[in-house]
Amino acid sequence: MPELLRAKVGVFTELHRKTRQLELLNRELEQRVEERTEQLRQSEEQFRTLANSIPQLAWMADAHGSIFWYNQRWYDYIGLGEDQTERWGWTSLQHPDHIDRTMERLEQAWSAGQFWEDTFPLLGKDEKFKWFIARAVPLRDSQGSVARWFGTCTDISDQIAAEEKIRHLNSQLQDRLAELEAIMQVLPVGVAVSHDPSGDLITGNAALTHMLGTQVGDNISLNKSQSNPLSFRFYQDERELAPEELPLQRSAATGQPLGTMELEIRHNGGSPIYLLASASPLRDPAGAVRGAVGAFFDVTGRKHLEDLLRERADLLELATEAIIVRDLNGLLLFWNSGAEALYGWQRDEVLGKPIHEILETQFPVGDATIESTLATVRSWEGNLIQSTRDGRELVVASRLALKARGDAVLEINRDITSQLQAEEALRKAERLAAMGRVAGIIAHEINNPLEAISNTFFLLRDHPSLDAEARHYAQMGEEEMLRLSHITRQTLGFYRESKHPVAVSVAQLLDDILELQLRRMEFNKIAVEKRYRSRGTVQGFPVELKQVFLNLIGNAMQAMPDGGRLRLHVFESSGRDNRKAGTWVSLCDTGVGIDAEHARHLFEPFFTTKSAKGTGLGLWISKGIIQKYGGSISFRSLRRSGRNITCFQIFLPHADLGAADRMDAPPESLKVPEPTARATGRA
Amino acid sequence: MPNAVILCVDDEEVPRTLRVMVLTKQGYTVLAAVSAVQALELLDQHHVDLVLTDQMMPDIVGTELAKKLRACRPWLPIIIVSGVNEIPEDAIFADRFVSKVEGPEALFRNIAEVLAHYSQQRDQEGPPC
Repeated sequence: MPELLRAKVGVFTELHRKTRQLELLNRELEQRVEERTEQLRQSEEQFRTLANSIPQLAWMADAHGSIFWYNQRWYDYIGLGEDQTERWGWTSLQHPDHIDRTMERLEQAWSAGQFWEDTFPLLGKDEKFKWFIARAVPLRDSQGSVARWFGTCTDISDQIAAEEKIRHLNSQLQDRLAELEAIMQVLPVGVAVSHDPSGDLITGNAALTHMLGTQVGDNISLNKSQSNPLSFRFYQDERELAPEELPLQRSAATGQPLGTMELEIRHNGGSPIYLLASASPLRDPAGAVRGAVGAFFDVTGRKHLEDLLRERADLLELATEAIIVRDLNGLLLFWNSGAEALYGWQRDEVLGKPIHEILETQFPVGDATIESTLATVRSWEGNLIQSTRDGRELVVASRLALKARGDAVLEINRDITSQLQAEEALRKAERLAAMGRVAGIIAHEINNPLEAISNTFFLLRDHPSLDAEARHYAQMGEEEMLRLSHITRQTLGFYRESKHPVAVSVAQLLDDILELQLRRMEFNKIAVEKRYRSRGTVQGFPVELKQVFLNLIGNAMQAMPDGGRLRLHVFESSGRDNRKAGTWVSLCDTGVGIDAEHARHLFEPFFTTKSAKGTGLGLWISKGIIQKYGGSISFRSLRRSGRNITCFQIFLPHADLGAADRMDAPPESLKVPEPTARATGRA
Repeated sequence: MPNAVILCVDDEEVPRTLRVMVLTKQGYTVLAAVSAVQALELLDQHHVDLVLTDQMMPDIVGTELAKKLRACRPWLPIIIVSGVNEIPEDAIFADRFVSKVEGPEALFRNIAEVLAHYSQQRDQEGPPC
């Protein structure tokens, strides 16, 4: 029994133990369900807190896509309460342009149970659309069926705006780049860019590649690393530049901008192109040099123009004419070497000065006439009288032209003083020649009957048939005839002798002249004092020498209108003591004398103190004649014991071979030996 | 040299006659010719000490006559008288070229001087032309 009991007790005990275990298990299970429920409740709470705290709009929908929950941020965004939001209410918040696409893709996701993502704008409570990226994920149960959807809408309007901005900037950048590229290609200035610091890759714009004879896009680097040889070289001051001396390379190497540099491009066989170049380094964001950019300005045209201008300027300086530019007020702007030489004023002394005041210009017509001519036909021509720095008076042929812009007057003046003098001298010579021809005709017509008359009187003089009275008449007739023949001899005698110089006695010449002037001298109470120490025989042409002395004696007489004394000396210089052998003639008068200011101009042509009476040529011609003989003429005018004494001294050398040549000696073949020579030499 | 024979050449009658008379009065023996051609003929026929010729003559002018005579009668003195006021280039072939307005005394002086100059060669005769 006990066994059974023990067995029964054992079963009961076991049962009781099992029951206790079950109770414990049940209690544990209940506790765990409670805990789990609590966890779930907390988890739900945590989720909602989390869902409300995230920056996204969040929502949940059931398996059919019906939204049953939105987070607080949703309501905040759309500005409506929980009860005011319909199940699909947010479709009304969608942008009309996007709603169809959005809904279609959402339906697809719903039905397929797949992840959904879309981007669209949503209307906020501020009545403005903002861009959102919306995502929804399906939550599945243990069987794998979709239990609900969890979705978020993330505000990406800032991102979109930033993207929009970037896109806009990009587009602008593209535009600028295109503009820049267009500018580069149309720019008349050559532009080069070195794409590396060493200048191994350099490209140029259209203008530059045109200058270099390459194509746009070609690498125009002259660095040795360049395999493709280029046909151009850079020169400076006739020296070829190495690649490292070129502007881009230099600027990249130094990291410094390079100012203006003059360069010359030379091609094989082409004419050189002159450039002004400048360059600047290019830097990367870190500030390191990554390349360089350079500008090349073609100055070939300018240089040619400069050369041309320089050439023109040189020509202006070469011109013997005075070339002058003055402004409309007459102030001098330009003055060439010809003007310096002509007027004696240096450029620095006259620039900016009223030039026609300085030159004491006398215009042939009034200023107003010249101004109006310039204004209408833009030029004027005429002769001006001007003064040089040292007071000489000039006649210039002047041409004026108004500058193209009308702000200045160009003036070219040519000295025609000598030309006018030469013309006057020529006119005088022609007059003399004409007079000579007339004199020749008259001489022939008078001299022939005169000889007959004088011979008749010679025969009549002692004729035995004449009584005393008749002889007296004959004598009177002969005397008057002699006077007539004397005057004829003086005026119509040998006017121009042989072309060969002959022996002329200066004393005789003086006597002849004095005899002609005798009556005037007496009338003017001029006493003549002659001191001839020799006959003063020189080789020459009597007419020329007569002209010289007639002129000097005439001047002396005119200088003594109220009488005076004329002293004539003739004497020889032996030729010893290094003095030339020859005849000296001195003529001194006690007339009005010669002013010091006139003294300097005395031998100049057209200089006269006799106003209308004189030609101003007398002494000039006399000096020319004396010089032709190899002689000299000088004068002194001084006051002694209250009287003026004016002396002219003339020296005529004894003929030498040179002087004979100058006077056009006949060829030796035409000369006939003297009869005496023939008698002694050939007999 | 008195009694010298002078050949006076002039195409115009009045001046020639007067010149002949004046010279004759002065004591010279005078032959007259109306042209250079006649003068050359007379020179062949007569002894002449001096030729006095006018310059302006229609056929042969005085200087040309002088040039011809120089060639064949180098010792014959020649004086040319002229009414023109210009001495021609070839006046050098004559011994003197005298202006007509100088008067008879000047002419005599010239003749005398030239004859005196030649007197040393008086006896020398050139070859006939």
